[in-house]
Amino acid sequence: MSIPVALVTGGTKGIGKEIARSFSKKGMRVYLNFSSDRDAAAAARRELHAETVQADVSDQEQVSAMIDAIAQKEGRLDILVNNAGIIRDGLLMLMPAKNWHRVMEVNLNSVFFCSKAALRPMVGNRWGRIINIISPSALMGRAGQTNYAAAKGGVLSFTRSLAREVARYNITVNAVSPGVIATELTRDMEDKVRREFISMIPAGRFGTPEEVARAVFFFASDEAGYITGEYLSVDGGLT
Amino acid sequence: MEKGTLLEELRSLIIKTLKLEGILAADIDPAAPLFGGGLGLDSIDALELVVALEKTYGIRIPDEDVGKEAFASVDALADYILRNIP
Repeated sequence: MSIPVALVTGGTKGIGKEIARSFSKKGMRVYLNFSSDRDAAAAARRELHAETVQADVSDQEQVSAMIDAIAQKEGRLDILVNNAGIIRDGLLMLMPAKNWHRVMEVNLNSVFFCSKAALRPMVGNRWGRIINIISPSALMGRAGQTNYAAAKGGVLSFTRSLAREVARYNITVNAVSPGVIATELTRDMEDKVRREFISMIPAGRFGTPEEVARAVFFFASDEAGYITGEYLSVDGGLT
Repeated sequence: MEKGTLLEELRSLIIKTLKLEGILAADIDPAAPLFGGGLGLDSIDALELVVALEKTYGIRIPDEDVGKEAFASVDALADYILRNIP
């Protein structure tokens, strides 16, 4: 079999980078998408021996151009991980509409654009894996995250529906829900906030990006070929 | 490209792409609907045909508005390709 080709959106930092590393370690051709941070992209490219591709995933034209270019160059695209995401937390009553829309664009619209473009090469090869990163907010809700929870809940329902459309082509569509994961974001947390978070997690600690990557890698593997439309929580028992 | 030739090509391509066993090119009525008709094909089968047509003829079938027009029949598909071939 040819070497699998994977694309990870938001793949140059945090969880996305660790997912990309797990593919890269197995000898796959890995493309790391990023939106703006060129320094992080350059560092990740060197570190993972991967390609980097710049595109704003909330822009359909940029997404099509990015994915068509990969499919053209490699003749295939086997794995898509929709990982790119942002938060704009705030209580709904006071939430500016732009924070609602931007969160929808980057977290939900992007999944539509990327999956739509990636399905052409996958259907053509009759094999594919789409893995969407969701959130405990999608599963249990979270005050201050109505926008993010709605977007991620949308991604979960999208996952279940698309799974039914493309199962015939050996394409599976699944989701992974990381809990609180130790990344750059949690490193800057105040101690009090950190303790509060940890008190909610039955495992008593934050997860690691590697633990999330292993779940994503499982869904991407041949072994998971009969699992589709599902989600897997990697959250230490949080949900 | 001459339309008659294209019609023949398309009928073979459809049979090959969708692995229609026991169906001959002559069995596909150029005027009949491709999907939801006598061939027993559904809209999910159309996805693979979209990919094959795009690859073979360099056309784009970006969405279902175009898809509906192009897949009305083999005849309509041939017209669509002749109009849009690069």
